[in-house]
Formats: sequence, C-alpha cells, structure tokens
Amino acid sequence: MNRHNILGLAADVVVVKDERGQPHRGKVFAAVHAHLDDVPYYASGLCAKLLSEGYTGYIVRTSNDEKYGGRSTAQNILSNEEDHFRMAAALGFKDVFDFYYQNHEMNGISYLDLRGRLILIFRFLKVDTVLSFNPWGHGEDDSDHWVTGRAVDEACWMAGMPNDFQEHLDAGIQPHRVSERYYFCTRPEQPFNRVVDIRTHLEKKIDAIVECRSRGEGNRGSLVRAQLAKEGKRLPLLGNDDRAADRAYARQFLLDQDREYGKQHKLEFAERFYYIDQRRAGKSKAEEYIEKNAVRI
Amino acid sequence: MERRRFLGRSAAGALALGGAAALQGQRSNLPPAVTPTAYAVPKSEYNAYLTPDYHTYASDLVIERDQPGKPHQGKALAAIQAHSDDITLFAAGTVAKLIGEGYTGYLIRVSNDEKAGKTVGHGVVQNEIDNQEAAQALGCKKAYSFYYRNHRMDDCAMIEIRQRLMFLFRLLQVNTVIAMDPYDHYDENPDHIVVGKAVESASWMASPGGGHEYPEQLKAGLKHCQIRERYYHCRSPQGHNLVNRVVDISSYIDHKVRANVANKGKGPAGDNGMRLRQELARQGKKLPLLGNDDDTANFQYTKHFLMEDFRVLGKQFGLEYAETFRYIGREPDLRQAVRKYVDGHTVPL
Repeated sequence: MNRHNILGLAADVVVVKDERGQPHRGKVFAAVHAHLDDVPYYASGLCAKLLSEGYTGYIVRTSNDEKYGGRSTAQNILSNEEDHFRMAAALGFKDVFDFYYQNHEMNGISYLDLRGRLILIFRFLKVDTVLSFNPWGHGEDDSDHWVTGRAVDEACWMAGMPNDFQEHLDAGIQPHRVSERYYFCTRPEQPFNRVVDIRTHLEKKIDAIVECRSRGEGNRGSLVRAQLAKEGKRLPLLGNDDRAADRAYARQFLLDQDREYGKQHKLEFAERFYYIDQRRAGKSKAEEYIEKNAVRI
Repeated sequence: MERRRFLGRSAAGALALGGAAALQGQRSNLPPAVTPTAYAVPKSEYNAYLTPDYHTYASDLVIERDQPGKPHQGKALAAIQAHSDDITLFAAGTVAKLIGEGYTGYLIRVSNDEKAGKTVGHGVVQNEIDNQEAAQALGCKKAYSFYYRNHRMDDCAMIEIRQRLMFLFRLLQVNTVIAMDPYDHYDENPDHIVVGKAVESASWMASPGGGHEYPEQLKAGLKHCQIRERYYHCRSPQGHNLVNRVVDISSYIDHKVRANVANKGKGPAGDNGMRLRQELARQGKKLPLLGNDDDTANFQYTKHFLMEDFRVLGKQFGLEYAETFRYIGREPDLRQAVRKYVDGHTVPL
C-alpha cells in the first residue's frame, strides 16, 4: 500500500516558517543530491533551517561531477570534491559522503548498488528525514537526478525492512525507516506542497552557493570583477574583494527562483518542496479497537 | 548444483548404477609427440559426477595435509556458494579441515535455491534449512543467505552482490575465502559464474589495497580486512579449472558426508539412503551397508556411493580422500624484498 497523496497541490500548500528553539533536537536528516550545486540551489535554505532547529545533517553526493569545472576530467573531479567539502562545511553538515558515480552516466550504473549504499547510510545514521529529488518530477531531464531520486525513494522504506540486507543486523545496524521526505522542485512545473520561508537563512544559502566554484556559478562575481578590471572598469555592486564579489553576485543574480517562489506567498525568499510525512501519529484504528474491546479469557 | 543426474528420487534409479564406469580406461588418440594439457580425472565405479571430467595441473602443485594443533586460531574463513550443495559437494572436506585447524568459519549462500523443491515455496524453505544444517555439520559459526533467484543470477546486479560480500568480509574480518573458481571452463550455471566473479573482486576490494571502496561501510564501524588466501574449487562434471593444490580431507570425510546428508532439498545425498532402505524393505530386502536406521542409511549411502569420486581422486596422490583447488596465497611483499636488498647492499657514503 502506498500512502502518498500527490495531487490537489494548490489546496494543500503549507507555508513553513522558522520554529522557535530546537524542536528537532535528536533528529537526523540526510540531503542526497547528485551534483555539487543541487542542494545549494534547491534546498540549502531548508538545510540551514533544519540545522538551526536542532537536526543533525549529513550530505550525500552521488556523482563525481566530472563534466564541470572547465579543466581536465580528472581535475574536475578533484575540484568538485574540494568544493563539496567546503560547501558542506559552510552549511554545517556533520559529515559528507561522496559516491563518485560517473556524472551524466548514472542511468547506466547499477541502481541496486546505489540503493544498497543509501540503505546502509540511512540505517547507521538513523536518518529520520531525507531531502532529495522527486523521482516523479516532470521535466527532469538530468538522468543523475532521477536515478538518485528513485534510489532514495526506495531506500527510505527498505531501510526499515529487516529482511533487506540482513547482514547489517549482524553488524549491530538495525532497520530504520525514513519517515519524512522533502523532494526538491528542480523545475517550476514540479509539484510542491511546502513553501519554506528561507529569509532568515539566506546568508547561509549564499555561503553554500559561493563554494560552488567548479559548477554552480559560485565564483562568477570574482570572475566578472577580474574581467572588468582588465578592461579598466569596476562594478560597485561587487565590492572590493573576490569574496564580496561572489556573495554580491549570488545575492543579486542567482536567487531569482527563490524570489519568485517567495513572491507568490508574500515571502521575500522561499524554497519549494513536495513533502511526504509518514510518521506514525498515535495508534491505528485497529489497535484502538483491540485495546478498547479485548476482554479477559 | 545442477549437474548430470546421479540418482533420481527413486531407489530403482539408484539400483540401476554401474554402467557409468564403462568409459574408464578409454584410450587416447593423442599423438605421441603431443603433450596433453588437461588430464581426464578418473571416476569411481558409481560415477556420481562429483569430480570434473578434466583437470589442468600446475607444475608447483602442493598437497596440503593435516596440520597439528590450531595453526589458524584467530583467523576467519568464508565459504561462499551459489547453492546449498556447492560447497558441501566440492569443498566441504577442506572447510571442515580448516575449521578443525582453528579457523572460525562462515557459510554464505547467494541464491535462494528456488528451483529445487516440489513447489518454489517449499524448495526455498527446505534449502534455507539445509544451508543452516550444512553449516552446523561443518562447524561454521554462522550461515548467511542472500536469496537471489536461483538460475537467474546473471540478471542480478553483480556489483550489489559484491557490495554485500565486501560488507560481510569486513564485518567478519575474513582472511580466507573458499568459492567456485570464476574461471571454471565450461561451467553451464550462470549463478556459479556470477558468484565466483563477485567473490574474486570483493576479496581484494574489501582490503586496504582496494582503495576508497564503500567508505560508508568504514564510517559505519567496519574495518578493512586482509584476505590473503583463496581456494577456488571446480564444479563438476563440466567446469574444470587449474589445480595447484590437493587437500587431504581423509580426516574430515565424515564431516563432508554429514554436510551432504544435511542437504535434503537438493543434491544427490540428503535422504536418498533412507529412501533406498525403505524401498528395499517394501520388497522384503535389506542392504547391510545401510544399517538399521534412517540416519545410518543416509550416512552410509552418501559415504559409499558419493564420496567414492573423492577417494579415487585422492588415490592418485596417495591420499585416502582429496579435494582439489586453484589456490591463491599471499602475494610477495615487494617492500619487504626491497628492504632486504637495501639492508644487504647498503654501503657507507
């Protein structure tokens, strides 16, 4: 039985604002993306929000990003790896997992291998919540995205099944079901039922984006600044150093989507997600019935 | 194992044995100037097809005999099989011997053996039980099953099987593996080939030499293991391999018999002794060899009719019973060799 209620989005949309204190203390989330710049653009505001509200966060990158960086394939892998560590540190993730499947080739990999690895991670980290691609998201033309999303989707529930990868139990790693999912909106036409107000986490989002130098335009500001300098010009917006230039460029030019998503809900900046909650609230009707009606033999 | 039928479930089939030895002693038409590169393996008069048709022998072949004491204490052995009767038939004597000499043993079955049983469901359950029982008969600490579909493993993701084997090798800190030779010639069974290849690659990738393989397993608390010894067995009758080790299993032949008797769901042993005894009884007869109870009948039947191939194989090497392997041992340590050279040749500046 599947319990997703995927349609009727407009009526279901919930605007999520910051919660006070640390309501999620003790909980764990994993952000699983394919490429260095996926989480920074689609979900770093939510990641920063969840971390500030008590979650412990882990990030998993499934591809090796070899096609981006402007250098040799090998150098691209290295520079994306380094950027990924810096980006994860900027957001405050506790640990980083890189799987290094070949970029743009993930529809040719063994999907079962990927899923098995995610199951192990979800179990041993006791992941409660995942953030990843919507495996059913329309318009998703990047195979790395949909392969990753599909594997995450299945790993979430299989991680709770004791007969999947029984050998994990011998290592003291118990079955653990992931009960909350936030699917990214990577294309405007993809469904969403959560709009997350990220205004107070915008600086963190910019922190993450500017670390995406090999891909994701994170260093575009400093590159523009250098180009202008060669031409004997400067753009006041970009400030007086590379760091300031990158941040200013990101703030001015790279957050249009978040502005647009926010505007529709009277927010300054927002991220969209399709949220699935499979937490169990209280007892089932059958359990309630049995408790109420059972009599002594 | 899905090899040539040795015995059906009926005792009549068992009684019809005997003609298979007719090919023995067949002359070769190989010209005198040509040196054979493969050798026909002599068969027993019962010819249970449990040894391969041919062997290719290495010039540095070693006979591995019993070692006194517990020289392998503290080491772990994983015996990996596609089907519940692979290790039991082809390598059980060696598994029992190594455990007897101190190894902690684990039996890993990769398929679900669904093709052997009166229904798929019954077959799967019986073979699951058999795998546990066979492990116990061999003295293994634990048996694992992965339950991939029998005879369809060429449709599985081998890399997932490898991932799971690496997890177990690291968890159990395996030092030695025994498995089907991934280079068995003419092996007809896709499950054997997939498992053999997965074991072969998992063995080195699970070690530090495997590099950055599945680092999340290490973060989950597992440690690299060092698999330094591999015993690859052949399948039979097709599927000969290169043999460089003959293991004397004479002291452990009864362990091997018991492990095969434990295989009720598939394989040529199981309850066939009992069935034969019952069929003879219905005809008002008895075979003294089979004793007076079902357990004795199963044991004696298996030892007398099925282990005979291993007795004939052993006889070639002056052993009572033997199993054969392609053995891969420790690789030479280049750094140690360089250090030895440096120590012996260094002069003052």
